[in-house]
Amino acid sequence: MPPDDLIGEIAVLLPRLRRFARALTRDPHDADDLVQVAVERALARANQLLADAGVTGWMYAIVRNAWIDERRARARRARVLVPEELGEHVADPRQGSAADALAIEDAMQRLPQEQREAVALVLIEGLSYKEAAHVLDVPIGTLTSRIARGRSALQEMLGEDSRTP
Amino acid sequence: MTFSDETVMAYVDGELDEADRAAVEAAMRDNADLARRVERQRALRTRLQDHFKPVLSEPIPPRLLDALAARGAPRPSGSIVALRPRARAHWSWREWGAMAASLVAGALIAPFIWRGAGSSEVELQQGQLLAAGTLGTALTRQLASEPSAGAAIQIGISFPSRTDSYCRTFVLRQHDSLAGLACHESEGWRIMALGAVARPGTAGPYRQAASEMPGGIAHAVDEMIAGQTLDAAAERAARARGWQR
Repeated sequence: MPPDDLIGEIAVLLPRLRRFARALTRDPHDADDLVQVAVERALARANQLLADAGVTGWMYAIVRNAWIDERRARARRARVLVPEELGEHVADPRQGSAADALAIEDAMQRLPQEQREAVALVLIEGLSYKEAAHVLDVPIGTLTSRIARGRSALQEMLGEDSRTP
Repeated sequence: MTFSDETVMAYVDGELDEADRAAVEAAMRDNADLARRVERQRALRTRLQDHFKPVLSEPIPPRLLDALAARGAPRPSGSIVALRPRARAHWSWREWGAMAASLVAGALIAPFIWRGAGSSEVELQQGQLLAAGTLGTALTRQLASEPSAGAAIQIGISFPSRTDSYCRTFVLRQHDSLAGLACHESEGWRIMALGAVARPGTAGPYRQAASEMPGGIAHAVDEMIAGQTLDAAAERAARARGWQR
């Protein structure tokens, strides 16, 4: 793909990539870090994008891999100091009307990594099972079982009420 | 007939084929328990989507645009950003980012924004690209079924999207190289994709005609279309309703 076509395609994907990153990691600054790393990697590896592969799935996969790399790096740094992910659970000062939002973000952060990324791709980003399985490089059956477990866990954490905000 | 949780989830996720979908919907009519299970899954999906949706309209941080622009040069001809190559020399990416912190795809649409006050075809509002000027007018008024030879903007196809809006593809003829996809939303015609059309004489093997959509646009259409493209009568009716669904 010519470089400018690729830049154009990535540019229009930026809002969605930021949303995906935000679902993976709660801190907005960390989320943009992931997108930035992903953009840099994508441009550096543009020659690895096959002509018939979609840029969308490719970019989601790069964001997701950047997130995994970051988690590993953090775990290494934090191993002797604090339990992994402790930082992701610190209380948020927002209250009142933001309580529901807080609950959703808390719940997402408590999902195991594999369920969180599957839920983010399918329920939030609206990818098909096939597309999401491709991004995560797992069989569709694996994907659907992760989504099912992720959904159950979220419903348990968020309560049984079916209200929509 | 009973339905597994997997089937209920697949139904809510739009993953069932037509026959299975019809079976679930028929069963929901007299099976309140099934209807509740579907509603519960749907509510979770809606709740998550509503929560994260505002991120889409946030301004794109300049550092992300910088990252995109860092590898942008040199830019081959026939691309979007090469439309006004002389203008590019006058500003750097850093300056640009500082001037317009909420830009998305700035490098690509800069030529259209910088054409001068009042004549831009694309505007930025809260990080979203919206059609403006002659492009906005053409998207609202022109019919694909009634192409006008002299029109500056050519409308390709019109179709209903999966997000309950109408979308249309377009080519900006005066630049002879920019094509795009726009969808009608509450804030106006939102640009969903932009791409370069090969100039006559430079068409590659996969671009047979100048009016053909670039691959990225065609892919975006495939992703967004719900059903069929509008025929002449449906297009006219959609225009009469102000592109509201």
